[in-house]
Amino acid sequence: MKKILSVLLAASMVMVMLAGCTSTSGGEGSGTTSAEGAGTAAGDTAGGDEAQAGTTITVAAIETAYGSDMWAQVCEAFTEQTGIEVELITDKNLEDVIGASMKAGDYPDVIHLATGREAALTETFIKDQNIVDITDVLSMTVPGEDALVGDKIAGGFTETSLTNPYGDGKTYLAPMFYSPCGLFYNAGLFEEKGWTVPTTWDEMWELGDQALEEGIYLFTYPTTGYFDAFFYALMYSVGGPEFFDQATNYAEGIWDTEEAQTCFDIVARLAQYTEPTTPAQANDQDFTKNQQLVLDNKALFMPNGTWIVGEMAEAPRADGFEWGMTALPAVEAGGDRYSYTWFEQAWIPSGAEHQAEAKQFIAFLYSDVACEIFAGAGAIQPVLNISDMLTGDNQLFYSIYDNGAKAAMGNFAAFTPIEGLDVRTVWFDPVNSLVAGTMTEQEWIDGIKAASDQMRANLIQ
Amino acid sequence: MKKRSGRGVFVFLCAAPAVILFTVFMIIPTINVFRMSLFRRSAYSTTEEFVGWENFSRLMQDTNFIRSMQNTILLIVVVTIVTFALALVFAAILTREKIKGQNFFRVIFYIPNILSVVVISAIFSAIYDTNNGTLNSLLSLLKGETVAILWKGESMVMVSLIIAMVWQAIGYYMVMYMASMSSIPMSLYESASLDGAGRITQFFQITIPLIWTNIRTTLTFFIISTINMAFLFVKAMTSGGPNGASEVALSYMYKQAYTNSTYGYGMAIGVVVFLFSFGLSALVNVVTKRKTLEF
Repeated sequence: MKKILSVLLAASMVMVMLAGCTSTSGGEGSGTTSAEGAGTAAGDTAGGDEAQAGTTITVAAIETAYGSDMWAQVCEAFTEQTGIEVELITDKNLEDVIGASMKAGDYPDVIHLATGREAALTETFIKDQNIVDITDVLSMTVPGEDALVGDKIAGGFTETSLTNPYGDGKTYLAPMFYSPCGLFYNAGLFEEKGWTVPTTWDEMWELGDQALEEGIYLFTYPTTGYFDAFFYALMYSVGGPEFFDQATNYAEGIWDTEEAQTCFDIVARLAQYTEPTTPAQANDQDFTKNQQLVLDNKALFMPNGTWIVGEMAEAPRADGFEWGMTALPAVEAGGDRYSYTWFEQAWIPSGAEHQAEAKQFIAFLYSDVACEIFAGAGAIQPVLNISDMLTGDNQLFYSIYDNGAKAAMGNFAAFTPIEGLDVRTVWFDPVNSLVAGTMTEQEWIDGIKAASDQMRANLIQ
Repeated sequence: MKKRSGRGVFVFLCAAPAVILFTVFMIIPTINVFRMSLFRRSAYSTTEEFVGWENFSRLMQDTNFIRSMQNTILLIVVVTIVTFALALVFAAILTREKIKGQNFFRVIFYIPNILSVVVISAIFSAIYDTNNGTLNSLLSLLKGETVAILWKGESMVMVSLIIAMVWQAIGYYMVMYMASMSSIPMSLYESASLDGAGRITQFFQITIPLIWTNIRTTLTFFIISTINMAFLFVKAMTSGGPNGASEVALSYMYKQAYTNSTYGYGMAIGVVVFLFSFGLSALVNVVTKRKTLEF
């Protein structure tokens, strides 16, 4: 009897242990909500998809300064419109939340993220060519409206290397929440000191010397990640769109040209004018301390996006502080000034189960209803006539293109992964060393040239 | 005979859960890491291409990897030596000397160990702040002029990591040594002092030899845990920056595997780290081998 009992106990132990190995579904982690609502028929589709009402799709969206409420509301509105239910996952570290299940082959149907993040999930999927072609979404009607998606999205947004990463004329990533990037400063301080915002780099250096006499540094940056938008706009303003295209496609000899040298010289000189504590704080934990330098009048300019206002809303600031934003100065008087148009992206991973419904969801993101909900939280969709929905600081920021600045869009072309090599570590991270004085401009350029050659050889055609 | 086979079944069933779990969660994944290090593949893609030893030969030419290994070794050596030296001295003082508030100090020293790395990194962010940080303020006070050391700057970032890691680990090892030190009979110390041995001689001649087995075991543990903890500290405190100056082997592996889409390459780094920690543990084990002393 005793023996049988022992065997039974041991057997049950094995069973209990192994039970832990079985896969479970559901319980997606933090921020999971389910938008449910009464469903009408799935919206009309010009693309011939067979989206079915009643299906549940999973949408994973990054929670940024805009918050996550707007996503819940948009999902609810989508369900109401189409009958397709949405399981929403939002998190500040979205990659960590959905990463594990994706490795196990369980993909969300729609992912909303931004490129340039530390985890580089979008870049990974682009490099792996693991993203669904959504060109047909552009010719779909927006659910609940008569307009086509392609007609609603503002010009240029679906023709950049960010949305069409392989240069094959097909769109893979839907542009979301655009934000003009530029140099942010304390307009109150400029008024107080009687300084004018520089329009050329020469004026910039003059102002730098002038400000330093009063103990204020010309420049700071949150992290080197913010140099992407800065460097892209700089390339545009120095050499125009043609130079930008060649440079971002790693054209042979492009980094030996006069234009490239001008870009490098400007960044290297700017490094000398940078607040010296900046590199020590340019990490994910301390970057707000660098942003605080501008609020405390210790540095004049920093490259940033319109989200900075919300991000630093609670931070203490100098008396009379007022946000100001300017495009990058021109190389010479009367030259073009550019402001990089930063935007996030929504895309469908190739492993997504409900691709037709996911496309419906993406189409819905450009509906008036969705745009209004997003705008309410400060997230501005790149659709025509959006300016009517802008309020407060945003009116000023988004008017930058009306005030003479040109829009710079695009990024470095996608290449198949190269071991030990990526854009940020080659182009932007060394700025920390330039500021600290541990690297020379020539060493930085040599690194870029060597990397560029490898990237050209691995371009995804 | 029947009784013996029944016993065999029982032993088998008892051992089975552990063996199965160990195989499924340790042996198979480890073999997989070794296998994947020979392929070019990304974290989220199922397609893979066999590249043989290419990942390893690239590693040997990758200056960023070499720097991250150098940083790892620096951390292992310095953090281990400093932590062990301080933990032993503090443990000896707290067990052998009569000082007021012994328990208070014991708790104070142990607190960092129960804090999560994220909390520690937040604490040290305040300590290392260049303009208003505790450390620079203290140094300014002592020196009489403003000190603006960039603790997380390129030249000091490794020192900053070392200080944080030592601060975190000291308490745990101190408590461990205190436990074994308190079991050493007082009579040994009494007779030594009658023979004229001072405190320091007693520490090196009696205390250290008698707790050597404990030191040896913890040393191996500590080396392995330093490799792991270094990753957490780097991830939470510096993200490997500025410009890769504080990158350690595991943080570099993570970057390559997950953010650079070169999973196979990341696994090759994993293999190197695996073999390195294995080799180092074996080496430490051999070097620290002494005849066990009993009391």
